[in-house]
Amino acid sequence: MNSNKKFFLMIIGIIGVVIFWIGWVSMNPADEKAMATFVSVDELLEDNITHRTKLGGLVKDGSIVISETNHLDCSFVLKEGDLELNIKYDRTRPDLFKDGAEVIVTGQYVNGVFYADELQTKCASRYEGDLRDENSYNLSEIDS
Amino acid sequence: MTPIAGSVAMNLAFGFSILTVLTLILYTRNGDQRLFLTGQRLALGISFFVFLATFILAYQLIQSNFDIDYVARYTSIETPFVYKITALWAGQSGSLLFWLFILSIYATIVILQNQGKHNSLMPWVIITLAIIQMFFLVLTNYVTNPFKPTDADFIVANGNGLNPLLQNVTMAIHPPTLYLGYVGFSVPFGFAISAMINRDTSPLWIQSIRRWALVAWLFLSIGIILGGWWAYRELGWGGYWAWDPVENASFMPWLTATAFVHSIIIQEKKDMLRVWNMVLIIITFTLCIFGTFLTRSGVMSSVHSFTGSSLGPIFLTFVFLIMIVSFGMMYFRRNVLKSPRKMESFTSRESGFLFNNMVFVVMCFAVFWGTLFPVFSEAVRGTKITVGPPFFNQINIPIGLILLALTGIGPLLAWRKTGKKSLIRNFTFPIITGLIVSIILLLIGFRGAVVMSFSLGAFVTATIVTEFARGIRARQKKLNESIVMSLVRMVSKNRSRYGGYVVHLGIVLMFVGFTGHAFDEEKEFSLKVGESDHVAGYNFELIKLSEAERPNHYAWISDLRVTKIDGEFVTNLHPEKRIYFHKNPDPNRRQPHSELDIHNTLNKDIYSIFSGVDSENGVAFIKIMINPLVEWVWLGGYILIFGTMIALWPRKDQ
Repeated sequence: MNSNKKFFLMIIGIIGVVIFWIGWVSMNPADEKAMATFVSVDELLEDNITHRTKLGGLVKDGSIVISETNHLDCSFVLKEGDLELNIKYDRTRPDLFKDGAEVIVTGQYVNGVFYADELQTKCASRYEGDLRDENSYNLSEIDS
Repeated sequence: MTPIAGSVAMNLAFGFSILTVLTLILYTRNGDQRLFLTGQRLALGISFFVFLATFILAYQLIQSNFDIDYVARYTSIETPFVYKITALWAGQSGSLLFWLFILSIYATIVILQNQGKHNSLMPWVIITLAIIQMFFLVLTNYVTNPFKPTDADFIVANGNGLNPLLQNVTMAIHPPTLYLGYVGFSVPFGFAISAMINRDTSPLWIQSIRRWALVAWLFLSIGIILGGWWAYRELGWGGYWAWDPVENASFMPWLTATAFVHSIIIQEKKDMLRVWNMVLIIITFTLCIFGTFLTRSGVMSSVHSFTGSSLGPIFLTFVFLIMIVSFGMMYFRRNVLKSPRKMESFTSRESGFLFNNMVFVVMCFAVFWGTLFPVFSEAVRGTKITVGPPFFNQINIPIGLILLALTGIGPLLAWRKTGKKSLIRNFTFPIITGLIVSIILLLIGFRGAVVMSFSLGAFVTATIVTEFARGIRARQKKLNESIVMSLVRMVSKNRSRYGGYVVHLGIVLMFVGFTGHAFDEEKEFSLKVGESDHVAGYNFELIKLSEAERPNHYAWISDLRVTKIDGEFVTNLHPEKRIYFHKNPDPNRRQPHSELDIHNTLNKDIYSIFSGVDSENGVAFIKIMINPLVEWVWLGGYILIFGTMIALWPRKDQ
């Protein structure tokens, strides 16, 4: 075998191994948190999906309840259209998390409650927001 | 009036770009020297008008002319002067103009630098650059114009202001450096295209772009490291890399560019790998445009992306056009691209380079796969599956370790073929060093990838030390110099080689830092004044919780006393919870922000975040992370920059 052919086979071999490796990890990730399926609340409830999923929606007004004993424990209701889903979350809440905020949660749905271990807030439209004229300012703000 | 001047300047630049391309194509047909000169001047004209437009926009930002939509959206009267200028790249249309601005700087330098040189190559280099400028000019002129007037039936009293997260020195430097990197690859790409069109087989053009590629690579590296540094210090999730689509978008061209700056050496020295280098530079440039697409299109949800953008399809079309034209041209020029020489042995420097290249490209593909996994999975299975950092880490750790090993092996191999004797001589010391380190680590109780990473790091360091020592000893023997003298002379005689070794050393240190991630610990807790909690052998007591009103925000300041479990005092940390725009009557416009505090040591960082406050009950929510060895990543970054500077430093005779 001439050396060019040897190199060619070697390269093909490496590519084969790598494709196998990437495919294998894609099928069997070591960490269960490696992947999450993006679903709608509708699909989650209908198919009763219990593996790791990601959901988006709005925080229902007035639904945030923070535990008296442990201030990290919190529950709220996620709204997607008319559908509602109870969420439990026990980690640090992002700065922009509040009533009406657009959030993405990742976690598992068990017995009617979605236990989230990731909570992301979509950046509020503060910096893409509407412009304002003079009347929409109050004076103290302009003074500062 | 002035805003109109900005639009006019961009229009003229667009017109000039069309004229440049037409004139130079005409020149390549009939060879009239006057046409070439005209083309060159027209090309300088494009850049001139782009500079003008950029300066006008910058001036309007400084003047707070809220009649321009862009100015009103990204600055306010209170925005500090420096950040009024950096607002130039805070929004979409401005950042596209800024891209163009940097491209125009490069184009101007290339044209002026090569007057009278590379006369056959230059026309097509200029044409290629002008076409890229044309593309961005179409965007800034007709799709998202930074000079668009404010669309409101009232006088805008004040602008929206710049996002406080972006009001940070690092954030002022990070985007421009990254852009300098991205855009910088346009130049080698232009040369490559031109060389193909001209059937230029000499390694000459390769030499002329090696430097360009290295400059772009340096800026891209600095940009990526700064981005990580900023995320670590400002964003408060305790990490510097999250495999976010936009981070990946900058990492992918970095990987192929790293392969390119290696394999280009082979073409320069041995005239091999012509096809491969062509593929690499085309892919690198395409990935740079693709990265801009990922950032702008909103295809991927990411902290970086701008919302609601119509740019996606346009960018994607451009990406496909680049690929079709470039690879099509490669096909038609396949005879020219055939290298006259062949690989001789697996144990040669050439094949070492080839393997390192393969691995870089493979890693790039792995990152690409993960980044677009949601898109692929939706297309194939109908469900959108997102992949997180654990996925990327699992795939890339083995690949990264192989790369690290090759960093050590490659430079020790001889050109053409390494004999058995020299194999043994070169590798004995490094391998023994690596083995000793791994045995010690295994005895201490470490396992797995951690041991691999540290031992390979020791192995690579040993090879670098050997290389330096051998070179110095040889000089000393021959010339009777002092050690310092021979070190300085040796490095300055072969800057790219020894600069390269220094870069490798930086990479080793960065790997040490990455490995520290395996030992991260974190805990979240709530504290009242006087209470304490502990994590990883440290005790955290909340001494005081105070409030303060500052000019542009309101802050809760915590005073955390950190001690070891045995009571030994470590440090005081003062993470803050801030509300920006706290006087805004509309609560939705107020912006909370956690200002974190870090205790740095070479050994570990104690990272504290004040994540929330319950002011009624006087409760502070604190998140503590213990991040070992993070400092090493930044240290490695400095060394990497230093090494690249050595490789780039011009010699007196050049």
